[in-house]
Amino acid sequence: MAYASVRSGRAAVRPFLRLFVAPAVLCAFAFAAALAAVMQYSLRAYVPGSLEAGGFTLANFAALMRPLYARVFLDTVWICFLTALFTLVVGYPLAYALVHARNVALKSTILVIAVTPLFLGEVVRTYSWIVVLGNNGFLNSMLLKLGLIDAPLQFMFTQFGVVTALVHVTLPVMVIMLAAALSHIDRDYERAAASLGAGPIRVFLTVTLPLSTPGIIAGVTTAFAWTFSAFATPQLIGGGRVNMVANLVYQLGFASFNFPFAASLSVAGLVLTFAVLALMRAAARPLERIRQH
Amino acid sequence: MKRICMMMGALALLLAPVQAIAQDKLVVSVWGGSWRDMVDNLIGKKFTAATGVPVEYITGGTIDRLNKEKLAKGNPESDVTFTTSHVGWLYANDGLYETLDLKKVPNASNLVEQAKISPYHIGTWAYVYTIGYRPDLLKGVEFQSWADLWRTDIKGKLAAPDFDPSHLIVVSAILSGGDASTWEKGQAKLKELKPNFKAFYTNDANSQQLIANGETPVQVILSMNAHYMAGEGVPIQLVIPKEGAVLGIDTVALMKGSKKADLAYKFINVALDPQVQAEVANFKKGSPVVLNAKLDPVIAKLPGVFTSADQWNEQAIIIDHKLRAEKTAEWRKWFAENIMN
Repeated sequence: MAYASVRSGRAAVRPFLRLFVAPAVLCAFAFAAALAAVMQYSLRAYVPGSLEAGGFTLANFAALMRPLYARVFLDTVWICFLTALFTLVVGYPLAYALVHARNVALKSTILVIAVTPLFLGEVVRTYSWIVVLGNNGFLNSMLLKLGLIDAPLQFMFTQFGVVTALVHVTLPVMVIMLAAALSHIDRDYERAAASLGAGPIRVFLTVTLPLSTPGIIAGVTTAFAWTFSAFATPQLIGGGRVNMVANLVYQLGFASFNFPFAASLSVAGLVLTFAVLALMRAAARPLERIRQH
Repeated sequence: MKRICMMMGALALLLAPVQAIAQDKLVVSVWGGSWRDMVDNLIGKKFTAATGVPVEYITGGTIDRLNKEKLAKGNPESDVTFTTSHVGWLYANDGLYETLDLKKVPNASNLVEQAKISPYHIGTWAYVYTIGYRPDLLKGVEFQSWADLWRTDIKGKLAAPDFDPSHLIVVSAILSGGDASTWEKGQAKLKELKPNFKAFYTNDANSQQLIANGETPVQVILSMNAHYMAGEGVPIQLVIPKEGAVLGIDTVALMKGSKKADLAYKFINVALDPQVQAEVANFKKGSPVVLNAKLDPVIAKLPGVFTSADQWNEQAIIIDHKLRAEKTAEWRKWFAENIMN
C-alpha cells in the first residue's frame, strides 16, 4: 500500500515522464534494430555477384587481422587524437575570448567565426579546403609570394591536410563546450588569486584552466568520437592516400558490394571507439581530481 | 451515421483523382543531378508527349537505389531503372528485373551487339574510361598505349577512380598477357604502377577538380568528364590507347512486378529512338547504342564516341559485365590492400 502511494506520488511529480520518454525509447529501439542488423551482416559470408549474404562465418573478422586494416584503425585513432588536440588548442583561446570579451560586437564576431562551420555542408566545406590546400591553392600561393618556399608544398592527400580540415569541422562543438565550462567558473576565484599577487598567466594556469577541465574533457571526447566517423573530409582531402575506417567501409561495402565485410569493419570500428573513449575517461580521472582540489 | 457516410463519400470523391493520377504515371529510377535532368528532358518529356503519361523520378546513387529495390522486391518502387551494366547484373541475379521482350521495343532492332547486356537489361548510352592528360602540364609526354601510364616521368601525377579499379586491373592483365578472367596475371605489373599514383578520386566532380587545378595532370578518366572539362576551357587531351579504351555502358531495364510494363516498354523505346540517342550523345558526349543515330559531326569525331560497328569492335575493351559484377568486390579489395594502401 505504502509502495503504491510512493509510486502514485512519483507519477504526480512527473506526470508527463512516460509521454516524453516514449520517443527516445522508440528511437533506441530503432537504433538497436539497425545495430543488430549490422552485427548480423558482419557474421555472414559474402556471395560474389549477389546482394544476398551467405551462411554464418567468422571469416570477416579474421580478415580484419591483416596489416592493412590494422594500420587503417591505428591511423584513424591517430588522426582523431591529433584532431581533438589541435581543436582544443585552436578552440580554447576562441572560447576564452568569447566568454571574457566585454564588447558585444567582438563577442558576436567570435561566435560567428566559431559557429559558421556548423552551417556549411560537409562537402562544400571540404571542397573549399581543397581550394586552400591545393598545389595552386591559397596557402601555397601565399607561401610562394612571401618567398618562404620555392615550390608548392604537398598539403593535399596528406594527414596534415586531413587533420586541418577536420579541425575546422570539430571546432564549433569544442568552442561551445569550452565556452559553457568557462562561463560557469566563478570569476571571484580568479579575482582572489589576482588579489593575492598572481599574474594573469598564473591565474589562468592555476585557476581557470583546472576549473575548465570538465569542458576540456567533454570537448576532446566529443571531437574524438565525432572524428572517428569522419567520411567526406578524409575521402576528398585524403584522396585515397589517407584512409579512415569510414572510408574503408565505403570502399569495401558500397563500391564493392561486400556488405558483410563492411559490416564487420563497422562493428570493429564501434568497439574500438568505445574502447578508446573508455581509456580517455580513465585517463581523465586524475584531471578531474585536480579540479576538485 | 448518416453524417459519417457523407463525410466518407466526400473523402472518396476527393481522393479519387489523386489515385487516378498515381496510377497514370511511370516511375523511373535514375541517378540524380544532370543525369536525371537529361533523362527527363530528352526521354521523359518525349514519352509524356507521345503517351500523355507523366514520368516521376526516383533519384539516388547506384547502390542506394539497388538497396531500395532489393527491400521492395516484388513490389518495386520504380517501373524502369537506369544503372550501370555490371550493377544491372546484381539486380538481375537477385531477381529484381523482368526478362525483356525486345519485340515491344522496335528501336532495339538497331541496337549494337555490345549493348545487349543480358536478357534483362540493355544499353542506353556508352562511354569509356581511358587516359586523359594535361599536355600543358606534361611537356613532351605522349600516351599511345596503356603501357605509357607506367612511364617514370609521370611519377606522382596519376589519379584513378577509387570506386572502381576494374579498368586498371583488366588493362594490367592485358599488358601481362591475360584478361579479365585471368586478372591475377597483371597483379605484379599493377604494383609497379604504384609510385605513379598521386590520388584516387571519389566521384566525377572530384576527378574534374583534380585535373582542372592540375593536382593530378593525368588520370584514368571518364570520357564524358574529359569532354565536359575541355568544353569548360581546361586543356585536356583524351587518348584512345592502341589496346582500346575500357567501355562502360549505362543500361535500362523493366522492374519485375511493375504494373505498367506496357508503358515501360514505350519509355525504353523512346530512349532508343535514333533522334533521342543523338541528342543524348550531343549532351553527354557519349556513344549512342543504336547504329542509326545521326550525330553532329563534331561530336562524332570526339575520342570515345563510337558511331560505327567497327569503332565498337576495335576501340573498346569490354569487360564481361557479369564477370565484372562477380569480381568487383575481389578486385576492389585487392586494389585497396595492394595499391591504395
